[in-house]
Amino acid sequence: MQGFSERGGGPLDLAQLQSTMHAIELACASIQMHMNPAAAEATILSLSQSSQPYQACKFILENSQMANARFQAAAAIRNAAIREWGFLTSDDKRNLISFCLCFVMQHANSPEGYVQVKVSSVAAQLLKRGWLDFTAAEKEAFFNQVNQAVSGIHGVDVQFTGINFLESLVSEFSPSTSSAMGLPREFHEQCRKSLELNHLKIFYCWARDAALSVTNRITESDSAIPEVKVCTAALRLMLQILNWDFLSSSSGAATSTSIFQIGGRQGSDSPKKSECNLVQPGPAWRDVLVTSGHIGWLLNLYAALRHKFSCEGYWLDCPIAVSARKLIVQFCSLTGTIFPSDNPQMYEHHILQLLSGIIQWIDPPDAVSKAIECGKSESEMLDGCRALLSIATVTTPSMFDQLLKSTRPFGALTLLSTLMCEVVKILMTNNSEEEAWSWEARDILLDAWTAILVPLERNGGYALLPPEGKNAAASLFALIVEAELKAAAASAFKDDDDSDYLQASISAMDERLSSYALIGRAAIDVTIPLLSRLFSERFLRLNQGRGIVDMTETLEELYSLLLITGHVIADEGEGETPLVPNAIQTRFSDIVEADKHPVIVLFSSVIRFAEQSLDPEMRQSVFSPRLMEAVIWFLARWSCTYLMPPEENRELNSRKVLLGFFGQHNQGKLVLDIIVRISMTALVSYPGEKDLQALTCYRLLHTLVLQKHICLHIVALDSWRDLANAFANGETLFMLNTAHQRSLAQTLVRSASGIRNSESANQYVRDLLGHMARYLAEISSKNDIKIVAQRPNTILLVSCFLERLRGSASASEPRTQKAIYELGFSVLNSVLVLLEVYKHESAVVYLLLKFVVAWVDGQISYLETQETAVVVNFCMSLLQIYSSHNIGKISLSLSNSLLSEAKTEKYKDLRALLQLLSNLCSKDLVDFSSESSETQGTNISQVVYYGLHIVTPLISLDLLKYPKLCYDYFSLLSHLLEVYPETVAQLNSEAFSQVLATLDFGLHHQDTEIVDMCLRALRALASYHYVETSAGKVGLGSHATGLTYRSGNLQEGILSRFLRSLLQLLLFEDYSPDLVSSAADALLPLMLCEQGVYQRLVSELIGRQTNPTLRSRLVNALQSLTSTNHLSSTLDRKNYQIFRKNLKTFLIEVRGFLRTV
Amino acid sequence: MSDSEEHHFESKADAGASKTYPQQAGTVRKNGYIVIKGRPCKVVEVSTSKTGKHGHAKCHFVGIDIFTGKKFDDIVPSSHNCDIPHVNRTDYQLIDISEDGFVSLLTENGNTKDDLRLPTDDSLLTQIKDGFGEGKDLVVTVMSAMGEEQICSLKDIGPK
Repeated sequence: MQGFSERGGGPLDLAQLQSTMHAIELACASIQMHMNPAAAEATILSLSQSSQPYQACKFILENSQMANARFQAAAAIRNAAIREWGFLTSDDKRNLISFCLCFVMQHANSPEGYVQVKVSSVAAQLLKRGWLDFTAAEKEAFFNQVNQAVSGIHGVDVQFTGINFLESLVSEFSPSTSSAMGLPREFHEQCRKSLELNHLKIFYCWARDAALSVTNRITESDSAIPEVKVCTAALRLMLQILNWDFLSSSSGAATSTSIFQIGGRQGSDSPKKSECNLVQPGPAWRDVLVTSGHIGWLLNLYAALRHKFSCEGYWLDCPIAVSARKLIVQFCSLTGTIFPSDNPQMYEHHILQLLSGIIQWIDPPDAVSKAIECGKSESEMLDGCRALLSIATVTTPSMFDQLLKSTRPFGALTLLSTLMCEVVKILMTNNSEEEAWSWEARDILLDAWTAILVPLERNGGYALLPPEGKNAAASLFALIVEAELKAAAASAFKDDDDSDYLQASISAMDERLSSYALIGRAAIDVTIPLLSRLFSERFLRLNQGRGIVDMTETLEELYSLLLITGHVIADEGEGETPLVPNAIQTRFSDIVEADKHPVIVLFSSVIRFAEQSLDPEMRQSVFSPRLMEAVIWFLARWSCTYLMPPEENRELNSRKVLLGFFGQHNQGKLVLDIIVRISMTALVSYPGEKDLQALTCYRLLHTLVLQKHICLHIVALDSWRDLANAFANGETLFMLNTAHQRSLAQTLVRSASGIRNSESANQYVRDLLGHMARYLAEISSKNDIKIVAQRPNTILLVSCFLERLRGSASASEPRTQKAIYELGFSVLNSVLVLLEVYKHESAVVYLLLKFVVAWVDGQISYLETQETAVVVNFCMSLLQIYSSHNIGKISLSLSNSLLSEAKTEKYKDLRALLQLLSNLCSKDLVDFSSESSETQGTNISQVVYYGLHIVTPLISLDLLKYPKLCYDYFSLLSHLLEVYPETVAQLNSEAFSQVLATLDFGLHHQDTEIVDMCLRALRALASYHYVETSAGKVGLGSHATGLTYRSGNLQEGILSRFLRSLLQLLLFEDYSPDLVSSAADALLPLMLCEQGVYQRLVSELIGRQTNPTLRSRLVNALQSLTSTNHLSSTLDRKNYQIFRKNLKTFLIEVRGFLRTV
Repeated sequence: MSDSEEHHFESKADAGASKTYPQQAGTVRKNGYIVIKGRPCKVVEVSTSKTGKHGHAKCHFVGIDIFTGKKFDDIVPSSHNCDIPHVNRTDYQLIDISEDGFVSLLTENGNTKDDLRLPTDDSLLTQIKDGFGEGKDLVVTVMSAMGEEQICSLKDIGPK
């Protein structure tokens, strides 16, 4: 391959430049035509990797007729200059930037836009690279040029180009869109700060002036003119600048006490889908954005454009209209200290002005929506909705509502409600179309409601909502429910089979439902009776029509109604106990009679309805599996909040009625009993309905037993004893999915925390599971086990029992620990026998391993010395047996998918084994046993190393491609090395080299996290050795010093080997900059341990550098790496920090030229 | 299960009859076995759907024939029973590979089993032959179900 270097940067003759250009053109052409693309790419790459290719690149840019070649030349300038920046002269740097700038200005009318954009972005990147080195005057020179261009004195094209350059520059300086330069984060931060403080506002003014300068010509002309392009670009740049993440938005907010602080809240924690970033540029921007009449100009511009939509070249979605609307919407999010706190009128005026422009896009709603249905573009209306969302986000609800009253007879909340009603009506009439505009409008408007209602909900202040707003919410909610029920009825007979899509739509619906719930709660006193009425209408319809007419539509309506109601009355717990929603707590406070309390009436009627599912005939005709799912879901959500609430006795009178009614001393026990019986029905009477049973096991029963006071009552119920008995001795529950059986076992065992007496709790567990343990013990001692075991029915039974034991093991608590230990202990032997018998039945093997993992995890911290030894020995036998079955085994199958299944199974097994080892490790961290086992106890670290030694050969490089396995393996390994370096020292050389080989592998892994773990392990090893040897001990001993074999070959010590490979990595290879700190932490102790080797490597490195300038730079950099900032030879925190800093400077200094080809 | 049932099973197994067990479709898991269209298959995918919104669940199985590697699928209401094949696996030591495509295997009680053909597929064949040719001590696992049998894996039990 041809190299393009220009040694020493001397001038090249024309022929050479020509030939380089031709080579690049040829390469570009062959890439386009797909002829030998690899070689072509290599040619192009060699240009950017060669030393100082600038002259050739400039030549290509200026002379090549091929746009692609010019593009590649620009890219090469960028790559080479960023790499070589450190040793370019300041003249070179300036020349490169001004070359690029001049190039774009000169070719401003070039039709190849992408080359222009590329060159302008190269100029921006280089300018940023040198930002902290250039003097203010140097920067000024560049910006003067740009300013002239943007002001328009060189014509429209140059003006456009100038604005585009600023756009690249701003996006380069914004951290989220900047390009990587191999520099630390601080550099980017400093650039960002500097640009924001010194230039951003000036750029904004330039853009504004550019737009102003062409406004008149645009408004006066009736057709598209070139100035439109400039104006669009300027609007885009202004939008981009307003999207900047302003510093003052974080720093200013904490201290200032502006009245708009309430308005300036962060919207990040609300469940919103649409983007709505707050724009908080701070007081310095006031003159430009607020007081200069800028917004008036913008609104006028758009108003003028609106009149032109009939003209040629303009339409609702033409670029300039889109940009103008986006900017207007962005202005709606303007907030913070830019508005003075002592002058609230200024803010009000600002919002009113915007609203007066925007209102025309959305008002009157019915006319707007009709026009869209007739074919008008919806984008203006959607932008109007977005603007409302932004305003709703930055203002308080009452202010939001007041805003419109000065120009309209109704408030903004009413407008929002009517607008949304229109959208919902459209949705109702054509709900078949997906991705219609009405969907998007609904989502944006729902977000606007959420923005208004979430803070109200949190502060408990629905009272803050004006009465008009409440009415608006009530009528909107009624319409929404009507629409949802109608949609439900219409979809009742649709059989959408695509189950992948279903999951996504359910979660999307969940989000929507929470927004509906907020609206419903805003008018709770209307909402609750409405829901009650809708329910009772449908119950009545069911009772009348049952067995006579098809009920599917009503069932589907009930399904929807249960979901909506569930969301209105209670919040998702997400592991916590959710409180009764504020709206429900504070309303209805005047009602003290339970049977008149609307909420209690609603709940009672739903529970009574659910109870009817216990009747076989009703179940047959009404309770379809799908309806039952909704019932179970509702009961789960309801019982989290309302069933025996813990605070029922401490509350005020008004709430006591509601909370007490389903409390422990009132109807609570009765309802709990009903719920348990309904659950049992769902598990037993709906064979094969996995979704329903999953909901019952995971959502309902599981959450019930999480609360201790409910457990107290649940274990006393006959229905619960029936369930436990069916589980322990019956056969029906074998028909459940095994994973559900596991969860059920866990639930049943966990409920034992409600049994006050510890002995009875243990007995309860024994009764529950003893039968299963005995079965396993029995079957494994049979003579004909080999034959019996392979029968499908035996496999099913064994799998069920193992899953159940695993479930119960994962419910280990101090109180039931004893029984679970005994149960596990009684099957240890059987587990080993079964592992042998089922060695070809991977599904069972996996269950065996997972049971052991769960059992050890639950037990290990409680075990006494003796027991620990037993468990550890058992685990080692398990590992050995597993290994002996699997090592060297080759699966033969014609089917690729069966082979890959086999590989996946192996991967899962190994993960389980690694988990087992990690669980054993935890014994050293958490230990509740009575005696301190320091002296005669099992040495856990040795055991785990031994286990790792057994497992490691099974883990092939192929298997390490599974990210989770890889992660588990390296986290275990690095944990061991960090915590027990002394045990490593005692490993035999075979085991030791195995550990080390894996570390070496991990060091070159793609995943940053894995490299990081390996670096930590390395640091631990090296610092252990250094500290030990400094104290006169052996440390890693012969592992570190290296061995001389009998053949005379010297085996290099591991520390020097890693020192070499780490240096190689740091200097010459690619890695994430995030790793430099951990690498420094590993490098320092390695260097201290192996100072001689380090000196040798350093002199090799210097020796290889032929260029004298670079050589002296390298020598100096190496010198300061080890000597600046008072680096000493200790391993304390401070020293590590100093070395981190030194290494970062060192790498920035030398990596650029060391990596040059 | 009663003793008579076990006995019953034993006699049938000895007779070499194909043997399947009924099991509810809802309990069949991925990685288990199932009979689809008369073939013993390993289940590689299970999904459930409903017959109509308010109807009952049905299971959709994708299975791969454990002998031929062919893909089958089937839809069964989840409360109905499926046939589960009785898949047996036995380890034998490999003694010899004969010219005519049969292997000679050593059973646990010291007899030889000479009625098993080598696989016809080339790549599988080379995997067996190569290992044997290198003089390794090989144990082969023979899988049998519904009257068919085949070598399904092999394992090197250590250097000689």
